[in-house]
Parts: sequence; structure tokens; C-alpha cells
Amino acid sequence: MGHSLKRKEDARFIQGKGRYVDDVKLPGMLYMDIVRSPYAYAKIKNINIDEAMKVPGVVAVVTGRDLEKYNLHWMPTLMSDTQMVLPTDTVMYQAQEVAAVIATSKYAARDGREAVRVEYEPMKPVIDPYKSLDPDAPVLRTDKEGKKDNHIWNWKVGDKQKTDDVFAKAEVVVKEQMHIPRIHVASIETCGCVADYDKVNNHLTMYMTTQAPHAIRTVIALVAGHVGLTEEKIRVISPDIGGGFGGKVPVYPGYVIAIAVSFLVGKPVKWIEDRSENLQADSFARDYHITAEMAGTKDGKILATRFKVLADHGYTDASANPSKFPTGMFSIATGSYDYDATYMECDAVYTNKPPGGVAYRCSFRVTEAVHAIERITDRFALEIGKDPAELRLQNFIKKEDFPWKSPTGWIYDSGDYHKGLLKAMDTVDYHQLRAEQAEKRKRGELMGIGLSTFTEVVGAGPSKDFDILGIKMFDSAEIRVHPTGKAIARFGTKSQGQGHETTYAQIIAEELGIPAENIQIEEGDTDTAPYGLGTYASRSTPTAGAAAAVASRKLRDKARKIAAYLLEVSEDDLEWEPGKFFVKGAPEKSKTIQEIVFASYTNHPPGMEAGFEATHYYDPPNLTFPSGAYICVVDIDKETGAIHVRRFVAIDDCGNIINPMIVQGQVHGGLTQGIAPAMYEELIYDEAGNILNGTFMDYLVPTAVESPKWETGHTVTPSPHHPIGAKGVGESPTVGAPPAIANAIVDALSPYGITHLDIPITPFKVWKALKEKGAI
Amino acid sequence: MTTTITKSFHVDHPVDAVWNNLTNPTQVVTCVPGASLTEQIDNDNYKGEVELKFGPVKAKYDGLITFLERDAATKKMSLKGTGTDSKGKGGADMKMDGQLSEKDGGTDVNVTMEVNVTGMMAQFGSRLINDVSNQVFDQFVNNFKKQLAGEQVDNTLSAGSMVGGMIKGFFGGKK
Repeated sequence: MGHSLKRKEDARFIQGKGRYVDDVKLPGMLYMDIVRSPYAYAKIKNINIDEAMKVPGVVAVVTGRDLEKYNLHWMPTLMSDTQMVLPTDTVMYQAQEVAAVIATSKYAARDGREAVRVEYEPMKPVIDPYKSLDPDAPVLRTDKEGKKDNHIWNWKVGDKQKTDDVFAKAEVVVKEQMHIPRIHVASIETCGCVADYDKVNNHLTMYMTTQAPHAIRTVIALVAGHVGLTEEKIRVISPDIGGGFGGKVPVYPGYVIAIAVSFLVGKPVKWIEDRSENLQADSFARDYHITAEMAGTKDGKILATRFKVLADHGYTDASANPSKFPTGMFSIATGSYDYDATYMECDAVYTNKPPGGVAYRCSFRVTEAVHAIERITDRFALEIGKDPAELRLQNFIKKEDFPWKSPTGWIYDSGDYHKGLLKAMDTVDYHQLRAEQAEKRKRGELMGIGLSTFTEVVGAGPSKDFDILGIKMFDSAEIRVHPTGKAIARFGTKSQGQGHETTYAQIIAEELGIPAENIQIEEGDTDTAPYGLGTYASRSTPTAGAAAAVASRKLRDKARKIAAYLLEVSEDDLEWEPGKFFVKGAPEKSKTIQEIVFASYTNHPPGMEAGFEATHYYDPPNLTFPSGAYICVVDIDKETGAIHVRRFVAIDDCGNIINPMIVQGQVHGGLTQGIAPAMYEELIYDEAGNILNGTFMDYLVPTAVESPKWETGHTVTPSPHHPIGAKGVGESPTVGAPPAIANAIVDALSPYGITHLDIPITPFKVWKALKEKGAI
Repeated sequence: MTTTITKSFHVDHPVDAVWNNLTNPTQVVTCVPGASLTEQIDNDNYKGEVELKFGPVKAKYDGLITFLERDAATKKMSLKGTGTDSKGKGGADMKMDGQLSEKDGGTDVNVTMEVNVTGMMAQFGSRLINDVSNQVFDQFVNNFKKQLAGEQVDNTLSAGSMVGGMIKGFFGGKK
């Protein structure tokens, strides 16, 4: 623990020996390609497959009508809504699956796709979520009996009366309307699968890009049990994954079609999305329209917040949240501040856009929540003319007040927010920067300093509250130590680049004293790994990492018994140091863990079960609450609106750190995915529902060129309830970075009366705002 | 994805001759780059095809052309075209309003065209559509003038030159 051990998995990745779904090649394998809708909303009048069937190599074209015969044309979403696998009569968004072409090569499948003729009758779509609730808006989900509008659900939390009273009496009230834009989870690897149904043995092997293989196995069994595919007949293998970020949690129609086709023809079927399909059709993230309000005193005490959200879910609610949390953990939006009145409400609506939204490197809507609170906090500071850092230091929950109960019911486990912010301010030389800014403002130059001091909520989660389709969100570890003292450990999670093969090995090494290089980590095969809910929401270390520690401790207890037997002393006379037990006061009398393990197979105490194995299913008593203090400094060119991020300092507190190098890598990647929505990324639709940036030509993903130099640092406030005091870090930077950048830009522009800009803040947006205010 | 283009040009032909040409489907369609008539349904409705190319993206629209108005007295005409891509990649519709007036013995032609595309063309061509539509329109005007002058008209689509022309116009400051 605490060592920057080089990543064990990198040896194969950097030598091109990673094995991804598209590397799976099976004898007799067929290839699938998908015909997609050019319209956002249209009736399908006819699908003519005659020409497609004439293309050499094409063996079948599957439509919704074909799937309807097996009742497989609709499937449930994780949020208990319904989603079309293939449409029978209506398409609901541009790029929706319309038909699937199966062929003997991927090129033939693509040619076949081009030859399918679909006749549509376009209809006027609902694109603007605010208009979706208009009385004259067409009702999109006519498949739902009795549905008379496009409203999905309403969710609320907090004390409305109390909050309204505080607002009514408050000295200062600020309000901003914000949009957290719809963005795309741009993993390097797109989604895909190979469905391999073996008719003789009635067995399905599903190789797929999934972050949650066990959950997928259960879902397949629930959906396809009626055709004989029960859970013991299904094996899901999630090989190496080239980035998931939440986008590989949902079940996409392509997976289901591939299974259905393989089941019907008895041959393996491969489906791999191309880049544009991935961008245009897969689950988006965010798309929350938020009205944020804060009430406080003139001298800067925060008294209350109110948040009203309109969530655009596309044509079905295909979010990937724990079942009881339709808005995920949005209720963390009270932030890192000590006040007790809040009220939050969210309405979700249908529109003619792709379904979602997934938790893109975010523990279920925490990004939206953090943006709202951090932006409105800065707005409050601006209103009363107080330095935003000072205002935060004034309002932070104090270190000694943890565990702290938030007004929405979360129990923050631990934190030291003052220490984090002071460290960040020290690193950037905050007061010097403010002095420089004052000088520059006199000359009319634009420089901004932005803060974000966020609290995350990760590691879902305690089984009393957290489940997905009823399955509790524990996670698991199974450790087997071989007679020679080397081990294999298997987990219910699934790395997509996070470095589990290294960090889990380090946890076991720390607890058992077996060197990390002698511990093989395996994930992603449901036939061998213990059941788990997968990797997302920064949950792997908080849940499976904890399971590894607890399972190791079970083994250590067994080792103590064996050591006592071998050394002929009482267990109480033994002391542990990593790697061996020795007799108190006689350190030369000892047994190493390797000797003990060997004895467990060759000379174990009478009456004791042989072998050296342990399994643990860890159900966390609480979530963990990582925090961070980020400071961003920007210089803006007044004439062009060009934004230059001069410095970005990120001080994270993720509790105890297992591998500092992996944490730093996570923070760098996360910050880059934070600058993305802050300055570049947004999925844009026109009024007809056409996606206007459906390729990487137009959808701007930041590269190394756009990325500033990230300056990272840490404070360490261990989680009191986690076995090794770790909190999880994968998502903090993605969550914390956007408001720091937005706050810096608005800070630079504030002398001209600009109080808010929606992300992504592009040079054009800055230039336009300055122009409107008469600054240029 | 909607784009509106308005153009005015002058031709040295009498207004009645121009009117006859502009309102005669078989004549006017041969001036539209990439377009051809396939069937006459009645006096006001025609079936036709239009091919468009925006860089790498090609679409062929099968459509219906309808004369909404042909008022010889006021010299006002209005035309609507709707089409779907024959490969199911999207659709397009277009409304064109024309007004002729006599000027110095010749004719002033004022045309407004509203083009609306859906699907792949809108996705990939969104940044090009205005410029390409302008190019197509300019070619149409040239062809139209040639036709009035009794010259041979070639309306085959030359997409390369179209995009090339656009780039030239962009850098040369002339559009």
C-alpha cells in the first residue's frame, strides 16, 4: 500500500497483447451490421430487404416484426422503463436501430445494410425538453397505455416549507439557470459483442463490452428464460475493455439482436459498432436543465439552496442508476457547506433523442449536482462582493463535525475541507494571483480564478438502499492461495483501464504479505468470478477492494491457527508482520506466509479444513465521500474570446491511497474529461432532431494539445468505515473540474456584468457575451 | 437543418419569355444541377430525381414537385419539392418562390429558396449546406441564362467543382 507499483496489466497493453471483444474470432462466425434511422421521429411504412438479400454473403435481415414473433422486440431498461430492440412501426430518434443485416463478413454486412430500403413517413419531433410538456406536444410513448403526456417521473427531496421560509426572509438570494449539456462517453473502444449460442448444449457464451458482466448474465436470464436460456446456461465474458466510463453499463439493442440471431441460427454472431454509431446512438450523459438558487446573509453565510431540474432522457429512461434513485445521487448538491435547509425537485421528460443518461465517470448525477452548487456558490460570492475562497472557508463543514448529516440525509463519513482548500491556495499562491488580477483589470485585461471545492459520494452501496433491479450493490472477492504461496484472486468488478490487476494485488499483498507480483487478478468471466455488480461509480475500491481486504483477513486468521500449530505455541503468543507470524519475544521463531500456506495443503492442524481459500461479499456500511479543492486560472483574449487555462491545481482527498501513480493517472484522465464538457463537448441537435456533430470532425474531444498542465496533490482523510480507509478516486476530477473552469471564466468576465455562462464555454460564447455587454 | 437563400439576377429577355421558361417543368428542371423529371402526374404535380453531393456524402432524392402557384398576371410562382433519399438516408424538402418584373426591356428575377434536409446530409453537411446550396443555385442561374439564350445546357452534377468552387469562393472572398 502506498507504493507506485508499475501496473501489471501494462506489459500486455503496451505490447499489443490486450484481448478485446473485436479480437474474438470463432469458427463459422457471422457479422452483424445495423440499419439506422435518418429521422428523429417517423412511421416506418415499409422495409424492403429484397436487394439486401441479393448481396453476396448476406444471410439474413432481421426486423422488429421478426423479433416480435419471439416477444423480443422490446426490452426493459435498468430504470424499469421499456426500450425497443428493433421497432415494429415507429422510430423515436435519429440513428435508432431499424433492422439488422447478418452476413458472412463485416463488409458484406455493410453492403447489405446499404441495400435495405426503408420507407418512412416523417413526423414532427419533440426536441426541446421544455416544449415536451406543452399541451399540444405530440405524446411520444403511445406504446404505453393511457399515456397522455411526455412526463416520466417527478422526484423531490428536502424540506420545502422550511427552505421557502429561509428564502423569503434571506438578506441575499441569487438564482441562475444552467444547462449541463448532453455529452458523449467517448471511449477509445466502441461497444460490441460476440454472441455464441451452442444449440446442442443449449448454452450461450456472450463476449461483450460490459462493465457489469454478472448483472448482464442475470438480465439475459430474466429476458430469455422463457426460451430456455436459464442463468446456468449463460456465460458472460468481458475481456479487456478500452474505456467504459459508464457507457458500457447499459444493455444496447445490438447485444440483444446478436443474441437473438445466434440463438436462431446456431452460429456465433459478432457486432462491433463503428465510431459514428457509438457517438450518435449510445447512451448519452448529463442533459440536466437546472434552476439553482442560494439564500444567505450579506456577510456570506450560506443559509439555504433550492434546485429545480428538468431532465431530458430521450425517448426512454435508460439511465443506469440504482433502482431507488431516479436522479442518482443528485441530492449531494448541498455540497461541502454547513447549512440545513434545502429543497430539490426534478421532472424527467421524453424527447426524440437517444435514450439515457448514463453516469459518465460520475457516481450517478454527482457531476450535475456539483456543478450546480459550485456555480451558485460563486454567484453568491459575486453578489455580496466576497472572495469566493473566503466564502468557502467560512461555510465549510468543520473537520470535527464529521460524520456529518446532510440536509438530504447523507452521512458524510470524513473530510477536512479547510486543509484541502488552504493547500490548493498555497500551491497557486492565491493572494498573489488576486493581486495580479486586480492590476490586469485596471488595464482592461481578462484574467479569472475559479474554485471548486466539492464533495463526492461514491462506492454504491449499502444494501439497505442500493440495488439494481433488486440485486443488492455489494461486491466480492475470492482468494485462492496455491501450495507454493502464490495466489489467484477473482472479483465481481471489471476493470476498463483502472488498474485493478495492480491495486487489488497490492491490497492483498498488504494484508497477507504475499508479494503483489505473485498475485494473479482475474475479472470479467461469470463462470469463474464471484458474483458482483461491476465497476462504475468509483465503487471498485470501496466495495471489491474492501472485500479483498476482508477476505485476506479471514485467511490471516487461518494462517495464525496454522502458525500456532506449527510453532507449538498458543495463537495469542503470535505476532504478525507482513509476510510472517513470529512468537512474541522470540522473533527468530517464525513461520512465513509461504510456509504456512504450504502446511495448509501438506500438514494442516487436525480438524481444520485443508487448503487456503477465502471469499467475501462486502456490503459497505456507508458510502464514501471523497472531496477535492480545485483552482483554475484562465487568461482570456478579449478580442477573440480565446480561453487559455494557465494553471490548474487539483488537491484531492480520496482517503488512504493504494497506488499513488495509479491515482495520479486517474486524476489526469479525469481532469481532461472535466475540461471536455467545460470547454468543448456537447451533443447538438437541430429542431428536426438531426445531430449536428455526429462525428469526431465536429464533436470535439480534447487531446493532449488542448490539455493544460495538471498540477495534482493530496490531503489524506481516511474513511473511518472502510477496511483500509480508502474512498475511491476515479471520478472526482471529472466531477470537480468543470465548475472550477466555468467559475474561472465567469470570474474573468464578471467586471462586465456577466454572472453565468453555460458549459461548454467556447471562445464564441465568450466573445458574444462580451459583445452583448458592450465590452468590445 | 434549414437554409434560406435569396437571389436576384437580371436577364436580357422579355418577361413573358422568362416566365414561360421558369414555369415550364421540363425546361426549368433541366437547369437544376443533378435533377431530372421522371413522370408527369398532372398539370401541377411531377415526379423527379435530384442528386446531391456534399464532399464525400452523396444522396439521391426521389421526390414530388408541385406547383403551388403560377400567376401569369402578377408573374409570381411558387414551387414545392419533397423527396426522400432512395437509400433511406434521409429526406429533403424545398420551397421556391419566384417573382419576375420587367426592367429595361429585360427581366429582373427574384428567387427565394428554403431548403430543409434531414438525416445523413444534415449531419455531415451541416457546415457545407449553405455554401453548396449557393453553388447549386449559381449553376442553376447560369444554366437558366444559357437556356434562354438558346444554348445547350449541361446539368450533370459536378460535385468536385462545386466544392472546389466553394473553397475558391471562401478564400477568394467571392461567394
